[in-house]
Amino acid sequence: MNICVENLSFRYPNGVLALQGVSLEIASGEQVAIIGQNGAGKTTLVKHLNGLLQPTEGRVLIGDWDTRKYSVAKLAQRVGYVFQNPDEQLFTKTVAEEIAFGPRNLGYSKERLQTLVEDALQLTQLQAMRSANPYDLSPTWRKMVAIASILAMDTPILIFDEPTTGQDAASVGRLATIIAELKQRGKTVITITHDIDFCAENFGRVIVMGNGQVLLDGSAKEVLGQEAILAQTFVDPPQITRLGLRLGLTEVVCTPQEFLDVFETQCAA
Amino acid sequence: MHERLSFYVKRESPLHQLNPLTKLTLIFGLILPAFLVPFYWTPHLLLVLVVFPLAFLGKVQGEYFNAATRLILPAAGFLFVMQALFIPGGEVVLARVWFLTLTQESLLYAFANAVRIFVMISSFTLFMLTTHPSELMSDLTRRGLPGQFAYVIIATLQIIPQMQAKANTIIAAQRSRGLDTESSFSRRIRALVPLVGPLVFGSLVEVEERAIAIEARGFTSRLPKTSLREISDRPLDKGLRWLLLAMMLASLLSRIWFS
Repeated sequence: MNICVENLSFRYPNGVLALQGVSLEIASGEQVAIIGQNGAGKTTLVKHLNGLLQPTEGRVLIGDWDTRKYSVAKLAQRVGYVFQNPDEQLFTKTVAEEIAFGPRNLGYSKERLQTLVEDALQLTQLQAMRSANPYDLSPTWRKMVAIASILAMDTPILIFDEPTTGQDAASVGRLATIIAELKQRGKTVITITHDIDFCAENFGRVIVMGNGQVLLDGSAKEVLGQEAILAQTFVDPPQITRLGLRLGLTEVVCTPQEFLDVFETQCAA
Repeated sequence: MHERLSFYVKRESPLHQLNPLTKLTLIFGLILPAFLVPFYWTPHLLLVLVVFPLAFLGKVQGEYFNAATRLILPAAGFLFVMQALFIPGGEVVLARVWFLTLTQESLLYAFANAVRIFVMISSFTLFMLTTHPSELMSDLTRRGLPGQFAYVIIATLQIIPQMQAKANTIIAAQRSRGLDTESSFSRRIRALVPLVGPLVFGSLVEVEERAIAIEARGFTSRLPKTSLREISDRPLDKGLRWLLLAMMLASLLSRIWFS
Protein backbone atom coordinates (compact mmCIF):
# COMPACT_ATOMS: atom_id res chain seq x y z
CA MET A 1 0.00 0.00 0.00
CA ASN A 2 1.57 3.27 -1.11
CA ILE A 3 1.72 6.38 0.99
CA CYS A 4 1.47 9.66 -0.83
CA VAL A 5 2.04 12.99 0.90
CA GLU A 6 1.21 15.93 -1.34
CA ASN A 7 2.40 19.42 -0.53
CA LEU A 8 1.54 18.97 3.14
CA SER A 9 1.58 21.97 5.46
CA PHE A 10 0.47 22.00 9.05
CA ARG A 11 0.02 24.78 11.53
CA TYR A 12 -0.68 24.06 15.19
CA PRO A 13 -3.53 26.01 16.78
CA ASN A 14 -0.94 28.09 18.67
CA GLY A 15 0.37 29.36 15.33
CA VAL A 16 3.54 27.28 15.02
CA LEU A 17 4.06 26.20 11.42
CA ALA A 18 5.33 22.64 11.93
CA LEU A 19 5.33 21.43 8.32
CA GLN A 20 5.80 23.48 5.19
CA GLY A 21 5.07 21.94 1.83
CA VAL A 22 6.24 18.39 2.45
CA SER A 23 5.83 16.05 -0.52
CA LEU A 24 6.94 12.44 -0.58
CA GLU A 25 5.96 8.99 -1.67
CA ILE A 26 6.65 5.80 0.19
CA ALA A 27 6.15 2.61 -1.77
CA SER A 28 4.73 -0.58 -0.38
CA GLY A 29 7.30 -2.58 1.60
CA GLU A 30 9.86 0.23 2.05
CA GLN A 31 11.85 0.62 5.29
CA VAL A 32 12.17 4.31 5.98
CA ALA A 33 13.91 6.14 8.80
CA ILE A 34 13.06 9.76 9.54
CA ILE A 35 15.76 11.74 11.32
CA GLY A 36 16.29 15.36 12.29
CA GLN A 37 16.57 17.61 15.34
CA ASN A 38 13.79 17.95 17.89
CA GLY A 39 11.03 20.18 16.55
CA ALA A 40 11.92 19.39 12.93
CA GLY A 41 8.40 18.10 12.29
CA LYS A 42 9.02 14.34 12.33
CA THR A 43 6.25 13.38 14.72
CA THR A 44 3.90 15.95 13.19
CA LEU A 45 4.48 14.34 9.80
CA VAL A 46 3.81 10.76 10.90
CA LYS A 47 0.75 11.80 12.89
CA HIS A 48 -0.75 12.78 9.55
CA LEU A 49 -0.29 9.24 8.23
CA ASN A 50 -2.97 7.78 10.50
CA GLY A 51 -5.18 10.84 10.68
CA LEU A 52 -4.28 11.98 14.20
CA LEU A 53 -3.57 15.33 12.61
CA GLN A 54 -5.35 16.75 9.58
CA PRO A 55 -3.45 18.79 6.97
CA THR A 56 -3.78 22.56 7.11
CA GLU A 57 -2.92 22.42 3.41
CA GLY A 58 -2.26 19.59 0.99
CA ARG A 59 -3.33 16.01 1.47
CA VAL A 60 -2.20 12.57 2.53
CA LEU A 61 -3.22 9.37 0.76
CA ILE A 62 -2.89 5.93 2.32
CA GLY A 63 -3.50 3.65 -0.64
CA ASP A 64 -6.70 5.09 -2.09
CA TRP A 65 -7.85 6.62 1.20
CA ASP A 66 -7.59 10.36 1.74
CA THR A 67 -6.91 10.73 5.50
CA ARG A 68 -9.34 13.65 5.70
CA LYS A 69 -12.24 11.36 4.85
CA TYR A 70 -11.52 8.53 7.30
CA SER A 71 -11.51 8.39 11.09
CA VAL A 72 -8.38 7.44 13.02
CA ALA A 73 -10.09 4.21 14.13
CA LYS A 74 -10.77 3.34 10.48
CA LEU A 75 -7.25 4.25 9.33
CA ALA A 76 -5.95 1.92 12.05
CA GLN A 77 -6.79 -0.91 9.64
CA ARG A 78 -4.02 0.32 7.38
CA VAL A 79 -1.56 2.13 9.63
CA GLY A 80 -0.27 0.91 13.00
CA TYR A 81 1.38 3.55 15.18
CA VAL A 82 3.61 2.72 18.15
CA PHE A 83 3.75 5.73 20.47
CA GLN A 84 6.92 6.76 22.27
CA ASN A 85 5.72 6.08 25.78
CA PRO A 86 4.19 2.62 26.31
CA ASP A 87 2.63 3.76 29.61
CA GLU A 88 0.24 5.94 27.65
CA GLN A 89 -1.57 2.94 26.18
CA LEU A 90 -1.25 -0.08 28.48
CA PHE A 91 -4.42 -0.77 30.46
CA THR A 92 -5.20 -4.50 30.65
CA LYS A 93 -4.25 -7.03 33.30
CA THR A 94 -2.19 -9.32 31.09
CA VAL A 95 0.23 -8.91 28.22
CA ALA A 96 -1.81 -11.19 25.94
CA GLU A 97 -5.03 -9.19 26.52
CA GLU A 98 -3.18 -5.97 25.84
CA ILE A 99 -1.93 -7.32 22.53
CA ALA A 100 -5.41 -8.55 21.57
CA PHE A 101 -7.00 -5.11 22.11
CA GLY A 102 -5.99 -3.61 18.75
CA PRO A 103 -6.88 -6.55 16.49
CA ARG A 104 -10.17 -7.00 18.35
CA ASN A 105 -11.05 -3.37 17.62
CA LEU A 106 -10.41 -4.10 13.96
CA GLY A 107 -13.02 -6.87 14.10
CA TYR A 108 -10.84 -9.83 13.15
CA SER A 109 -12.23 -13.37 13.52
CA LYS A 110 -11.44 -15.31 16.68
CA GLU A 111 -9.01 -17.68 14.96
CA ARG A 112 -7.17 -14.88 13.23
CA LEU A 113 -6.98 -12.93 16.50
CA GLN A 114 -5.43 -15.97 18.19
CA THR A 115 -2.84 -16.44 15.44
CA LEU A 116 -1.94 -12.74 15.37
CA VAL A 117 -1.46 -12.53 19.14
CA GLU A 118 0.74 -15.66 19.15
CA ASP A 119 2.76 -14.27 16.25
CA ALA A 120 3.26 -10.90 17.94
CA LEU A 121 4.28 -12.58 21.22
CA GLN A 122 6.82 -14.64 19.34
CA LEU A 123 8.24 -11.74 17.31
CA THR A 124 8.80 -9.68 20.44
CA GLN A 125 9.98 -12.68 22.51
CA LEU A 126 7.25 -12.08 25.05
CA GLN A 127 5.86 -15.64 25.13
CA ALA A 128 7.06 -16.33 28.66
CA MET A 129 5.46 -13.10 29.93
CA ARG A 130 2.08 -13.54 28.27
CA SER A 131 0.08 -13.65 31.50
CA ALA A 132 2.15 -11.08 33.36
CA ASN A 133 0.70 -7.67 34.16
CA PRO A 134 2.35 -5.19 31.77
CA TYR A 135 3.09 -2.85 34.66
CA ASP A 136 5.11 -5.55 36.43
CA LEU A 137 7.52 -5.68 33.50
CA SER A 138 10.60 -3.48 33.12
CA PRO A 139 10.24 -0.40 30.89
CA THR A 140 12.20 -2.22 28.18
CA TRP A 141 9.68 -5.05 28.07
CA ARG A 142 6.73 -2.68 28.40
CA LYS A 143 7.97 -1.11 25.19
CA MET A 144 7.95 -4.57 23.60
CA VAL A 145 4.34 -5.06 24.76
CA ALA A 146 3.40 -1.77 23.12
CA ILE A 147 5.13 -2.84 19.91
CA ALA A 148 3.52 -6.29 19.99
CA SER A 149 0.10 -4.71 20.47
CA ILE A 150 0.55 -2.86 17.19
CA LEU A 151 2.23 -5.76 15.33
CA ALA A 152 -0.83 -7.90 16.12
CA MET A 153 -3.04 -5.47 14.20
CA ASP A 154 -1.40 -6.81 11.05
CA THR A 155 -1.48 -3.47 9.24
CA PRO A 156 0.37 -3.07 5.93
CA ILE A 157 2.06 0.05 7.30
CA LEU A 158 3.79 0.41 10.69
CA ILE A 159 5.08 3.56 12.33
CA PHE A 160 7.54 3.54 15.23
CA ASP A 161 8.14 6.78 17.11
CA GLU A 162 11.63 6.63 18.62
CA PRO A 163 11.58 2.91 19.41
CA THR A 164 15.18 2.75 20.66
CA THR A 165 14.98 5.54 23.24
CA GLY A 166 15.97 4.18 26.65
CA GLN A 167 16.43 0.63 25.34
CA ASP A 168 19.43 -1.57 26.06
CA ALA A 169 21.48 -3.27 23.34
CA ALA A 170 19.51 -6.51 23.62
CA SER A 171 16.25 -4.65 23.10
CA VAL A 172 17.64 -2.67 20.16
CA GLY A 173 18.75 -6.01 18.69
CA ARG A 174 15.22 -7.38 19.08
CA LEU A 175 13.87 -4.31 17.33
CA ALA A 176 16.27 -4.82 14.42
CA THR A 177 15.09 -8.43 14.11
CA ILE A 178 11.46 -7.33 14.15
CA ILE A 179 12.07 -4.73 11.45
CA ALA A 180 13.93 -7.29 9.29
CA GLU A 181 11.04 -9.73 9.70
CA LEU A 182 8.51 -7.05 8.76
CA LYS A 183 10.56 -6.32 5.67
CA GLN A 184 10.44 -10.02 4.76
CA ARG A 185 6.68 -9.91 5.06
CA GLY A 186 6.47 -6.94 2.72
CA LYS A 187 5.29 -4.43 5.33
CA THR A 188 6.08 -0.75 5.10
CA VAL A 189 8.01 0.43 8.18
CA ILE A 190 8.47 4.10 9.03
CA THR A 191 10.64 4.88 12.05
CA ILE A 192 11.47 8.15 13.71
CA THR A 193 14.83 7.87 15.41
CA HIS A 194 17.70 9.80 16.93
CA ASP A 195 19.85 6.66 16.98
CA ILE A 196 21.93 7.18 13.88
CA ASP A 197 23.63 3.77 13.99
CA PHE A 198 20.27 2.05 14.29
CA CYS A 199 19.13 4.11 11.31
CA ALA A 200 22.22 3.28 9.20
CA GLU A 201 22.06 -0.42 9.91
CA ASN A 202 18.37 -1.13 9.46
CA PHE A 203 16.86 1.23 6.93
CA GLY A 204 17.29 1.36 3.18
CA ARG A 205 15.84 4.83 2.89
CA VAL A 206 16.50 7.83 5.09
CA ILE A 207 14.48 11.05 5.19
CA VAL A 208 16.11 14.02 6.90
CA MET A 209 13.83 16.74 8.22
CA GLY A 210 14.65 20.21 9.45
CA ASN A 211 12.45 23.18 10.17
CA GLY A 212 9.28 21.53 8.88
CA GLN A 213 10.79 20.58 5.54
CA VAL A 214 12.43 17.54 3.95
CA LEU A 215 16.12 18.37 3.65
CA LEU A 216 17.31 15.06 2.22
CA ASP A 217 15.57 11.94 1.00
CA GLY A 218 17.38 8.94 -0.45
CA SER A 219 19.26 5.75 0.30
CA ALA A 220 21.27 5.63 3.53
CA LYS A 221 24.47 5.91 1.49
CA GLU A 222 23.27 9.00 -0.39
CA VAL A 223 22.01 10.73 2.71
CA LEU A 224 24.41 9.90 5.52
CA GLY A 225 27.46 11.18 3.65
CA GLN A 226 26.07 14.73 3.43
CA GLU A 227 27.69 16.07 6.57
CA ALA A 228 27.02 19.72 5.84
CA ILE A 229 23.29 19.36 5.25
CA LEU A 230 22.88 16.97 8.17
CA ALA A 231 24.58 19.53 10.41
CA GLN A 232 21.78 22.01 9.61
CA THR A 233 19.42 19.83 11.59
CA PHE A 234 22.02 18.80 14.19
CA VAL A 235 22.55 15.25 12.99
CA ASP A 236 26.02 13.67 12.95
CA PRO A 237 26.61 10.84 10.45
CA PRO A 238 27.50 7.49 12.07
CA GLN A 239 31.09 7.38 13.39
CA ILE A 240 32.08 4.79 10.80
CA THR A 241 30.76 7.00 8.00
CA ARG A 242 32.68 9.98 9.33
CA LEU A 243 35.82 7.88 9.58
CA GLY A 244 35.32 6.80 5.98
CA LEU A 245 34.92 10.42 4.89
CA ARG A 246 38.06 11.53 6.78
CA LEU A 247 40.04 8.70 5.22
CA GLY A 248 38.85 9.83 1.82
CA LEU A 249 37.22 6.56 0.87
CA THR A 250 35.76 6.68 -2.63
CA GLU A 251 32.41 5.45 -1.38
CA VAL A 252 30.19 6.49 1.55
CA VAL A 253 30.00 3.66 4.07
CA CYS A 254 27.28 3.18 6.67
CA THR A 255 28.19 -0.02 8.50
CA PRO A 256 31.45 -1.56 9.77
CA GLN A 257 31.16 -4.32 7.16
CA GLU A 258 30.82 -1.84 4.32
CA PHE A 259 33.77 0.05 5.71
CA LEU A 260 35.96 -3.07 5.73
CA ASP A 261 34.92 -4.04 2.21
CA VAL A 262 35.64 -0.64 0.70
CA PHE A 263 38.80 -0.14 2.75
CA GLU A 264 40.28 -3.50 1.68
CA THR A 265 39.56 -3.03 -2.02
CA GLN A 266 41.02 0.46 -1.89
CA CYS A 267 44.16 -0.71 -0.09
CA ALA A 268 44.60 -3.51 -2.56
CA ALA A 269 44.33 -1.10 -5.48
CA MET B 1 3.87 21.11 20.43
CA HIS B 2 3.34 23.17 23.55
CA GLU B 3 1.53 21.54 26.37
CA ARG B 4 -0.11 24.08 28.62
CA LEU B 5 0.92 23.21 32.10
CA SER B 6 -1.27 25.82 33.76
CA PHE B 7 -3.95 28.31 32.81
CA TYR B 8 -1.35 31.07 32.89
CA VAL B 9 -1.15 33.27 29.81
CA LYS B 10 2.13 35.12 29.47
CA ARG B 11 1.49 38.78 28.64
CA GLU B 12 2.76 42.15 29.70
CA SER B 13 0.09 43.91 31.72
CA PRO B 14 -0.36 45.85 34.94
CA LEU B 15 -2.21 42.88 36.37
CA HIS B 16 0.63 40.51 35.50
CA GLN B 17 3.08 42.84 37.23
CA LEU B 18 1.24 42.84 40.51
CA ASN B 19 2.67 40.76 43.29
CA PRO B 20 0.93 37.36 43.52
CA LEU B 21 -0.14 38.03 47.10
CA THR B 22 -1.69 41.33 46.04
CA LYS B 23 -3.72 39.49 43.42
CA LEU B 24 -4.72 36.86 45.96
CA THR B 25 -5.89 39.66 48.26
CA LEU B 26 -7.69 41.21 45.32
CA ILE B 27 -9.70 38.01 44.81
CA PHE B 28 -10.95 38.10 48.37
CA GLY B 29 -11.36 41.84 48.15
CA LEU B 30 -13.90 41.15 45.42
CA ILE B 31 -15.56 38.07 46.85
CA LEU B 32 -16.16 39.26 50.41
CA PRO B 33 -17.96 42.51 49.48
CA ALA B 34 -19.97 40.63 46.84
CA PHE B 35 -21.29 38.31 49.53
CA LEU B 36 -21.38 40.60 52.54
CA VAL B 37 -22.44 44.11 51.59
CA PRO B 38 -26.20 44.39 52.21
CA PHE B 39 -26.79 46.78 49.28
CA TYR B 40 -28.60 44.66 46.68
CA TRP B 41 -26.72 45.68 43.54
CA THR B 42 -23.19 45.22 45.00
CA PRO B 43 -22.25 41.96 43.20
CA HIS B 44 -23.70 43.19 39.91
CA LEU B 45 -21.81 46.45 40.06
CA LEU B 46 -18.60 44.69 41.09
CA LEU B 47 -18.90 42.37 38.11
CA VAL B 48 -19.51 45.03 35.51
CA LEU B 49 -17.40 47.85 36.96
CA VAL B 50 -14.45 45.89 38.40
CA VAL B 51 -14.18 42.30 37.16
CA PHE B 52 -14.77 42.97 33.45
CA PRO B 53 -12.39 45.96 33.31
CA LEU B 54 -9.80 43.89 35.20
CA ALA B 55 -9.92 41.30 32.42
CA PHE B 56 -9.07 44.03 29.92
CA LEU B 57 -6.44 45.52 32.22
CA GLY B 58 -4.80 42.09 32.42
CA LYS B 59 -5.02 41.73 28.61
CA VAL B 60 -6.66 38.35 29.03
CA GLN B 61 -10.17 39.41 28.00
CA GLY B 62 -10.29 36.84 25.18
CA GLU B 63 -9.43 33.91 27.43
CA TYR B 64 -11.54 35.26 30.27
CA PHE B 65 -14.75 35.80 28.30
CA ASN B 66 -14.25 32.44 26.65
CA ALA B 67 -14.12 30.75 30.06
CA ALA B 68 -16.94 32.96 31.32
CA THR B 69 -19.39 31.97 28.60
CA ARG B 70 -18.44 28.32 28.45
CA LEU B 71 -17.90 27.55 32.09
CA ILE B 72 -19.02 30.22 34.52
CA LEU B 73 -22.24 31.28 32.80
CA PRO B 74 -23.71 27.74 32.69
CA ALA B 75 -22.79 27.15 36.35
CA ALA B 76 -24.26 30.45 37.51
CA GLY B 77 -27.27 30.01 35.22
CA PHE B 78 -28.03 26.61 36.72
CA LEU B 79 -27.83 28.04 40.22
CA PHE B 80 -30.13 30.88 39.20
CA VAL B 81 -32.82 28.57 37.82
CA MET B 82 -32.72 26.23 40.80
CA GLN B 83 -32.87 28.99 43.38
CA ALA B 84 -35.50 30.99 41.56
CA LEU B 85 -37.83 28.00 41.49
CA PHE B 86 -37.16 26.39 44.82
CA ILE B 87 -36.59 29.15 47.33
CA PRO B 88 -39.72 29.23 49.46
CA GLY B 89 -41.53 32.39 50.52
CA GLY B 90 -42.21 35.64 48.75
CA GLU B 91 -45.45 37.51 48.32
CA VAL B 92 -45.52 38.72 44.74
CA VAL B 93 -46.28 35.64 42.67
CA LEU B 94 -45.16 36.05 39.08
CA ALA B 95 -45.96 32.64 37.68
CA ARG B 96 -47.22 29.25 38.78
CA VAL B 97 -46.33 26.13 36.84
CA TRP B 98 -47.51 22.77 38.23
CA PHE B 99 -46.12 22.74 41.78
CA LEU B 100 -43.49 25.42 41.13
CA THR B 101 -44.06 29.00 42.13
CA LEU B 102 -41.98 31.86 40.89
CA THR B 103 -42.07 34.89 43.14
CA GLN B 104 -40.46 38.25 42.67
CA GLU B 105 -38.47 37.81 45.87
CA SER B 106 -37.04 34.42 44.93
CA LEU B 107 -36.20 35.73 41.49
CA LEU B 108 -34.27 38.69 42.88
CA TYR B 109 -32.54 36.58 45.48
CA ALA B 110 -31.49 33.99 42.92
CA PHE B 111 -30.24 36.67 40.56
CA ALA B 112 -27.99 38.20 43.21
CA ASN B 113 -26.66 34.81 44.28
CA ALA B 114 -25.88 33.77 40.71
CA VAL B 115 -23.96 36.99 40.16
CA ARG B 116 -22.06 36.46 43.43
CA ILE B 117 -20.95 33.05 42.18
CA PHE B 118 -20.07 34.65 38.86
CA VAL B 119 -17.87 37.20 40.62
CA MET B 120 -16.24 34.51 42.72
CA ILE B 121 -15.30 32.15 39.89
CA SER B 122 -14.37 35.09 37.65
CA SER B 123 -11.87 36.50 40.10
CA PHE B 124 -10.21 33.10 40.53
CA THR B 125 -10.12 32.70 36.76
CA LEU B 126 -8.48 36.09 36.31
CA PHE B 127 -6.01 35.22 39.03
CA MET B 128 -4.99 31.97 37.37
CA LEU B 129 -4.79 33.55 33.94
CA THR B 130 -2.39 36.25 35.08
CA THR B 131 -0.30 34.51 37.74
CA HIS B 132 2.32 31.89 37.02
CA PRO B 133 1.92 29.08 39.55
CA SER B 134 5.59 28.91 40.43
CA GLU B 135 5.68 32.67 40.95
CA LEU B 136 2.83 32.36 43.42
CA MET B 137 4.58 29.48 45.13
CA SER B 138 7.93 31.18 45.54
CA ASP B 139 6.29 34.35 46.75
CA LEU B 140 4.22 32.57 49.36
CA THR B 141 7.12 30.44 50.65
CA ARG B 142 9.26 33.55 50.83
CA ARG B 143 6.62 34.97 53.15
CA GLY B 144 6.91 31.97 55.40
CA LEU B 145 4.29 29.60 54.06
CA PRO B 146 5.50 26.03 54.62
CA GLY B 147 6.70 24.44 51.39
CA GLN B 148 4.26 21.57 51.78
CA PHE B 149 1.26 23.92 51.69
CA ALA B 150 2.63 25.79 48.71
CA TYR B 151 3.16 22.48 46.95
CA VAL B 152 -0.43 21.43 47.53
CA ILE B 153 -1.70 24.74 46.11
CA ILE B 154 0.51 24.50 43.04
CA ALA B 155 -0.31 20.86 42.42
CA THR B 156 -4.02 21.68 42.54
CA LEU B 157 -3.65 24.58 40.12
CA GLN B 158 -1.63 22.50 37.70
CA ILE B 159 -3.33 19.15 37.80
CA ILE B 160 -6.18 19.87 35.40
CA PRO B 161 -4.13 21.14 32.44
CA GLN B 162 -1.54 18.43 33.03
CA MET B 163 -4.10 15.65 33.05
CA GLN B 164 -5.74 17.17 30.01
CA ALA B 165 -2.49 16.99 28.05
CA LYS B 166 -1.92 13.44 29.22
CA ALA B 167 -5.47 12.39 28.38
CA ASN B 168 -5.07 13.76 24.86
CA THR B 169 -1.98 11.64 24.23
CA ILE B 170 -3.70 8.54 25.59
CA ILE B 171 -6.76 9.14 23.43
CA ALA B 172 -4.51 9.50 20.39
CA ALA B 173 -2.65 6.28 21.23
CA GLN B 174 -5.84 4.25 21.70
CA ARG B 175 -7.53 5.65 18.63
CA SER B 176 -4.44 4.56 16.70
CA ARG B 177 -5.21 1.05 17.94
CA GLY B 178 -8.63 1.23 16.36
CA LEU B 179 -10.55 2.40 19.43
CA ASP B 180 -13.72 4.08 18.25
CA THR B 181 -14.28 7.23 20.28
CA GLU B 182 -16.46 9.05 17.81
CA SER B 183 -19.58 7.00 17.16
CA SER B 184 -22.52 5.94 19.32
CA PHE B 185 -22.91 6.78 23.00
CA SER B 186 -22.62 3.17 24.22
CA ARG B 187 -19.40 2.73 22.25
CA ARG B 188 -18.01 5.87 23.81
CA ILE B 189 -18.83 4.62 27.29
CA ARG B 190 -17.03 1.35 26.56
CA ALA B 191 -14.10 3.34 25.17
CA LEU B 192 -13.58 4.93 28.60
CA VAL B 193 -11.82 1.95 30.19
CA PRO B 194 -8.74 2.02 27.94
CA LEU B 195 -8.51 5.77 28.50
CA VAL B 196 -9.01 5.99 32.26
CA GLY B 197 -6.64 3.12 33.08
CA PRO B 198 -3.42 4.66 31.77
CA LEU B 199 -4.53 8.12 32.92
CA VAL B 200 -5.00 7.14 36.56
CA PHE B 201 -2.01 4.86 36.66
CA GLY B 202 0.20 7.37 34.87
CA SER B 203 -0.85 10.14 37.23
CA LEU B 204 0.00 8.03 40.28
CA VAL B 205 3.41 7.22 38.85
CA GLU B 206 3.90 10.93 38.16
CA VAL B 207 3.09 11.84 41.76
CA GLU B 208 5.72 9.44 42.98
CA GLU B 209 8.31 10.66 40.50
CA ARG B 210 7.61 14.24 41.42
CA ALA B 211 7.97 13.46 45.10
CA ILE B 212 11.36 11.89 44.46
CA ALA B 213 12.42 14.76 42.22
CA ILE B 214 11.61 17.51 44.70
CA GLU B 215 13.10 15.51 47.56
CA ALA B 216 16.29 15.15 45.53
CA ARG B 217 16.41 18.94 45.39
CA GLY B 218 16.18 19.32 49.14
CA PHE B 219 12.47 20.02 49.49
CA THR B 220 12.31 19.02 53.15
CA SER B 221 15.59 20.69 54.06
CA ARG B 222 15.14 23.09 56.95
CA LEU B 223 17.80 25.54 55.85
CA PRO B 224 16.68 28.89 54.42
CA LYS B 225 16.11 28.68 50.67
CA THR B 226 16.84 31.11 47.91
CA SER B 227 14.72 31.56 44.84
CA LEU B 228 15.63 31.78 41.19
CA ARG B 229 12.78 34.17 40.54
CA GLU B 230 12.89 37.71 41.82
CA ILE B 231 9.32 38.64 42.53
CA SER B 232 8.64 42.32 42.68
CA ASP B 233 6.73 43.66 45.64
CA ARG B 234 6.41 47.38 45.06
CA PRO B 235 5.07 49.96 47.50
CA LEU B 236 2.04 50.07 45.19
CA ASP B 237 1.42 46.40 46.01
CA LYS B 238 1.61 47.03 49.73
CA GLY B 239 -0.71 50.00 49.45
CA LEU B 240 -3.22 48.03 47.39
CA ARG B 241 -3.20 45.20 49.88
CA TRP B 242 -3.97 47.53 52.80
CA LEU B 243 -6.70 49.19 50.78
CA LEU B 244 -8.26 45.86 49.91
CA LEU B 245 -7.99 44.69 53.50
CA ALA B 246 -9.77 47.85 54.60
CA MET B 247 -12.50 47.22 52.03
CA MET B 248 -12.98 43.68 53.26
CA LEU B 249 -13.24 44.93 56.83
CA ALA B 250 -15.67 47.64 55.77
CA SER B 251 -17.91 45.18 54.00
CA LEU B 252 -17.91 42.96 57.08
CA LEU B 253 -18.79 45.92 59.30
CA SER B 254 -21.52 47.09 56.95
CA ARG B 255 -23.03 43.63 57.18
CA ILE B 256 -23.05 43.71 60.97
CA TRP B 257 -24.22 47.31 61.13
CA PHE B 258 -27.20 47.06 58.81
CA SER B 259 -28.63 43.75 59.92
